[in-house]
Amino acid sequence: MGAVLDPRVEEYARLLVERSLAVQPGWQVMIVATPSSRPLVEELVRQLARAGAWPLVRLSYVDQEQVPFDSLWATEAPEELLGTMAPIEARTREELDAWLLIFGSENTRGATVLSAQRRQKLRQAYVPFNQRRLAPGFPWVGCLYPTEALAQEAGMTLADYADFVYGACLLDWERERERMSGYAERFDAGETVRIVGGGTDLTLSIVGRSGLVDDAHYNVPGGEFFYSPVEDSAEGVIEFSEFPAVYQGAICEGVRLRFEAGKVVDASARANEDYLIGALDTDEGARRLGELGIGCNPGIQRHTRNTLFDEKIDGTVHLALGAGLAFVGGLNQSAVHWDMVKDLRRGGRIELDGVVVQQDGAWAL
Amino acid sequence: MDPRVQAYARVLVDCIEPRPGWQVLVRSQPPGRPLVEEVVRELGRRGARALVRLGFDAVGGVFTRFAPLELISNPPDIELQEIGSADSYMAIVAPENTRAGADVPAERLSARQAALRGPHLPFLMDEKPWVGCYFPTTAAAQDAGLGLAAFEDFLYGAVLIDWHELREKMERIAQHFDRAETVRIVGAETDLTFSLAGREGKVDALAANMPGGEIFYSPVEDTAEGTISYLEYPACYLGHEVDGVRLRFDGGTIVEASATSDEEFLLGALDTDEGARRLGEFGIGCNPGIQRHIRNTLFDEKMEGTVHLAIGTGFPQIGGMNSSGIHWDMVKELRNGGRIELDGVVVQENGVWALS
Repeated sequence: MGAVLDPRVEEYARLLVERSLAVQPGWQVMIVATPSSRPLVEELVRQLARAGAWPLVRLSYVDQEQVPFDSLWATEAPEELLGTMAPIEARTREELDAWLLIFGSENTRGATVLSAQRRQKLRQAYVPFNQRRLAPGFPWVGCLYPTEALAQEAGMTLADYADFVYGACLLDWERERERMSGYAERFDAGETVRIVGGGTDLTLSIVGRSGLVDDAHYNVPGGEFFYSPVEDSAEGVIEFSEFPAVYQGAICEGVRLRFEAGKVVDASARANEDYLIGALDTDEGARRLGELGIGCNPGIQRHTRNTLFDEKIDGTVHLALGAGLAFVGGLNQSAVHWDMVKDLRRGGRIELDGVVVQQDGAWAL
Repeated sequence: MDPRVQAYARVLVDCIEPRPGWQVLVRSQPPGRPLVEEVVRELGRRGARALVRLGFDAVGGVFTRFAPLELISNPPDIELQEIGSADSYMAIVAPENTRAGADVPAERLSARQAALRGPHLPFLMDEKPWVGCYFPTTAAAQDAGLGLAAFEDFLYGAVLIDWHELREKMERIAQHFDRAETVRIVGAETDLTFSLAGREGKVDALAANMPGGEIFYSPVEDTAEGTISYLEYPACYLGHEVDGVRLRFDGGTIVEASATSDEEFLLGALDTDEGARRLGEFGIGCNPGIQRHIRNTLFDEKMEGTVHLAIGTGFPQIGGMNSSGIHWDMVKELRNGGRIELDGVVVQENGVWALS
């Protein structure tokens, strides 16, 4: 731990505790993190204690590991144990009042290698808590602490990356909320969304669906509003030619998807195509869209190969293959949820029921 | 990776002998990674579940430092349930800095201990298995006065031994002490007697300490008579190192105490409470892998050819009745002309057993 705490860490923790989770006295708050995120973890613990809440810190060396060390354990444990959590872990997650996940990788390629079958079983164990967490009203937030590994992945020094992270997270979120709500109201009232850009002309329907504005409640940084599109409505082609499509440590360049009646019927990539096809073949729902999101964070102008930030780049949209978001009416089911980001800032546009609402990344509303 | 880490993990899991389906809490700090990972794998192989809880230090981190005392005294339901429902736990001490908890006021530490005592009772009473041990970090090596490689050799030499053979040897020795009444310790500036009448000893091998390698008793509380001088090694407790401790007992109570350094801390400890002036433990170090003092009680008290006496709280599960807020083990070297007598018969001289 550095001797001098970056003062931005304190402000960051306050945002997470007071705004994202709105922690109340007596709450039991789980913090999932890595040892590399120590300064933020310790500041969160301090602020939770001051707020009269109890932190339950769960550290693992593997990034985003909800039950510490469970994938390593699962390499050796009897397979029949993998599909359910240990009773203590399950009970804990039934009783939690809030949940906070800090991305803080010390090696972005450090995930435990586990056979697909065992990984699948282990995912089943997460289902009950994921359902509870994603139900309306449960306070949770995903955020990130700048580490050397994440800076490296972004192609930046740690100091520059930290500036980038705090620049995206420490915004006037009330102002952002008002701005994004204005756009979302228009989309809520619309039916057909058309996305036009480099190699791209895709339409999809959001009829009957209402969007959600993330003003630093579910993710920090927030800065998107998102929908689960009508599952059988996507038609046309989208080419993710500006940025790689990044998922669970894998990187696919030049992904091109053609949709018919909501389903990917043609898929290709310039690099790592096998991975893309494998993901699409995971299950029935992997070829349908689970999310349409519109990135609005003015602090994010560049791609850093990290979805938490990339999907919020101002002037981009993202589409997720796979699982829909039940809390905004999404019905699609899948083990996959792969967000792919499309840049619209150079010659792209969004049309809503035939009217251009964004051109070259600038709103015309 | 050092192949000794995997062997060590197997030994630790042997200490708790998990049954399939057991939920085993594994507490450690981030530098313990290689050992924690091997323990997790080994628990998986034996069909037990690993619940790993890493903290940045072993005393509850910044929460213990900054939380309102009331919050510390009332731990969250989830934590109490977790400890209460666990079938076993391991504490793998892997310090980044062995003084990391030094700034936490004693009042806060004891509030935390008291609050978590309830769910830990089944472990303290040996109703549920647990084990405490160290992972060799540079910080622990520094405290031991050794380089990391030398400390690793020392530590693995103490834990990777034939535990079944040592257990049998210690059980044979313990039988003699179980049958006897009066123990006399004679050594440099030392002549102390006390009674074990009616008390049974416990042999520590593949049990709650790793390294184990001691036979221990709670002596009859009002029987200690005479003097013991800890001239060879400092008496280490709560980060303090007190040199030249000399204690005189009368009717089981310390009636005179002195030290050549930090005497104030010694006298303060003795004044903690009523029980702090009586003996809670008599232990005999038998671990052949431990031949040097490293100022770490977990290891030092197992040194072959030494005995240790703890002032303060006794072990109720082996008949100890003394109760105190402290338990301070002090190690006496006997390989320098010392001896142990049992009912007047010499059973160990210069650290060498004279038993059949």
